[in-house]
Amino acid sequence: MKAFIRFFSSVKLAIALLIILTAASILGTLIPQGRSAAEYAARYGGLAGILVRFQFTDLYHSLWFIALLGFFGLNTAVCTLTRLSPKLRRARRPQVAADPKSLAARNPKDRFRRSEGLPAVRTEAEEALRAAGYRVRSEKAETRVSILGRKRIAGIFGPDVVHLGLLVLLAGGIVSGLGGFKTQIVLREGETAPVPKAAFEIRLDKFTTEYYPDGSVKDWTSAVTVLEDNAPLRTADIEVNHPLSHGGFNFYQMSYGFDWETASVEVLARKSGDPGFLKALELKPGERAPLGDAEGTEIFLRRFLPDFVLGEGNRPETRSFQPNNPAVLIEGIREGRKVFEGWVFANFPDFARMHGTEADDLAFELKGFRAGQYSVLEAARDPGVPLIWAGCLLVMVGLGLAFYWPTCEIRAVLEEAPSKTEVVLGGQAAKGRDRFEKEFAAVAAALRRSS
Amino acid sequence: MTESTLFAAAMGLFALSALIYFVFLFNRRESTARTAFVPVIAGLVVHTGALVLRTVESGHAPFTNMYESLSFLSWATALAFVLVNLRFSIPRIGPFLMLIVIALMALASSPLMPKETTPLVPALQSYWLWLHVSVTLLGEAFFAVAFVASLMYLSAKDPAKKDKLDAVGYRAVAVGFPLFTLGGLVFGMVWAQKAWGRYWSWDPKEVWSLITWLVFALYLHTRIVMGWKGKRSAWIAILGFLAALFTYFGVNYLLSGLHSYA
Repeated sequence: MKAFIRFFSSVKLAIALLIILTAASILGTLIPQGRSAAEYAARYGGLAGILVRFQFTDLYHSLWFIALLGFFGLNTAVCTLTRLSPKLRRARRPQVAADPKSLAARNPKDRFRRSEGLPAVRTEAEEALRAAGYRVRSEKAETRVSILGRKRIAGIFGPDVVHLGLLVLLAGGIVSGLGGFKTQIVLREGETAPVPKAAFEIRLDKFTTEYYPDGSVKDWTSAVTVLEDNAPLRTADIEVNHPLSHGGFNFYQMSYGFDWETASVEVLARKSGDPGFLKALELKPGERAPLGDAEGTEIFLRRFLPDFVLGEGNRPETRSFQPNNPAVLIEGIREGRKVFEGWVFANFPDFARMHGTEADDLAFELKGFRAGQYSVLEAARDPGVPLIWAGCLLVMVGLGLAFYWPTCEIRAVLEEAPSKTEVVLGGQAAKGRDRFEKEFAAVAAALRRSS
Repeated sequence: MTESTLFAAAMGLFALSALIYFVFLFNRRESTARTAFVPVIAGLVVHTGALVLRTVESGHAPFTNMYESLSFLSWATALAFVLVNLRFSIPRIGPFLMLIVIALMALASSPLMPKETTPLVPALQSYWLWLHVSVTLLGEAFFAVAFVASLMYLSAKDPAKKDKLDAVGYRAVAVGFPLFTLGGLVFGMVWAQKAWGRYWSWDPKEVWSLITWLVFALYLHTRIVMGWKGKRSAWIAILGFLAALFTYFGVNYLLSGLHSYA
């Protein structure tokens, strides 16, 4: 146990761990994280197997990195604890008695003589220190009075508070990792979905995209209603940067898309031989409708692609789920037989051409389409978050104490001599020496002046 | 008065002060150092005007692209120098810090940096944009002061000057480290939790902020616990500033991640 504590309380270990953690973190930004095995094989060749085996490809969640963080936490805890008890003793039961020689070695220091007796000088010195904001303790031993004045003693605990904050942060990370839960909820307008692991449902009432005048996206908003047993509890707008908190869950606006499955398409049909013929059809993919011509043609909407592109083997597919290049595949059916087919493009109306045995003089135009939008919300429950904020707060308070709450100490030794009192003053400040030296000089001057 | 005129005027004033500071390096006259400080203050005032104008024109915080954030970082670096010089009167670091300020501004005005104001994308519409970026860049500006003081420490000969440069370097870190921790890490985590639903994602920018933080943690531990003052301390402060610089620039251009805006 002693060897264990000695090992983990060493500052050298802390420094080694800081360097190793830094190096490992850098490595994780040089190797792309969480990609597919094929990508690693293409990038690193024979090395890929080793990288994957030692979890360099998911480095920050790897066992060895987490172990490293664990060691770091242990080291921080042991270092802080072993240094804490002498500090606490120094804060709560400091040694008041001092030796004039050791004070004379301090900087700043002062030494002078007063013609008053010891009790009067003692009172004056204590009052001068108190007036400067110092907390005073004093002790008398034979002909000597030792006075200890200190202020901002909390400053010495600054680093400990930072370390405690880091441990709380690590604990928060562990709690998040073990108890955190995240899931995506995809909702069409009007749809209700249960929230996994929760006793309530969420309904998307409306999804809106706002645009700037230049056409770029200003905001995505999901207007939702929270329901319990089908009874509405509350309504809220979820926006990017404005999540909804309910029942221990946070709901974030993550993504959105068009619901192409239920899109409805408006197709115009014309006949070059008959200028009077114009027929508008509203169809969903997979639906058919009579064209109303003399031949009794039925139009079948076989496919709808929002972003038409010719993929591998010249097969039509959609490049994205944004309506960049909408296209429909139309089939003409007569007497239960397919007689023509062809792609019709919204952006390229002249490009449409029907192929088949009986295409006749029919021309089609993709006039418009309507697709409902769906919103992707992320539901997250993270019990580690309160610990994270507590840890952040402790780290900041600790840094404030360590850098800007410097402990100051002024000691005085008063020695009784025949018809006079010898005074030795010595001061010590962790930081902010200039200001402290002025304060020390003022205390010394006050004590000299009254003689 | 347009924003770009004020920006150019500020840059001219900083260049003037750099020139006078270089004269001071040779003649060592107190009065020259005092003269050089005047255009720094004037430049800072004019530059402040440029940032305010930019904010009014665009209607959002002036750090949503590389041009804006470089302009803000150069302003913060000039401010950090002014504060450090007022507190410790160390004009010796003036010429090199002004060079850094001018270099950042020159980079901002290079044709590679898009300058037009663009509407704010949804992810950046938050008051945390103000808090997160301004405090982080202010922290990094103090790291720049520590960097210059450390470089000058390594090249200085006179022991009294060396002591002062070492102390100024440490004091700059003592300001920069808490600011960077608060702005970069704490505010960053709060905002990430609000916008993305996770306070930490191991995104390259996050990891490099952590690396910068670890290097300065190393600086403080070796210095305070192991008493490494001087040369080794100076080297760690230099490494820390380079890590901060990489967090700011390198991550954007060399690594991809969530912080794709600036």
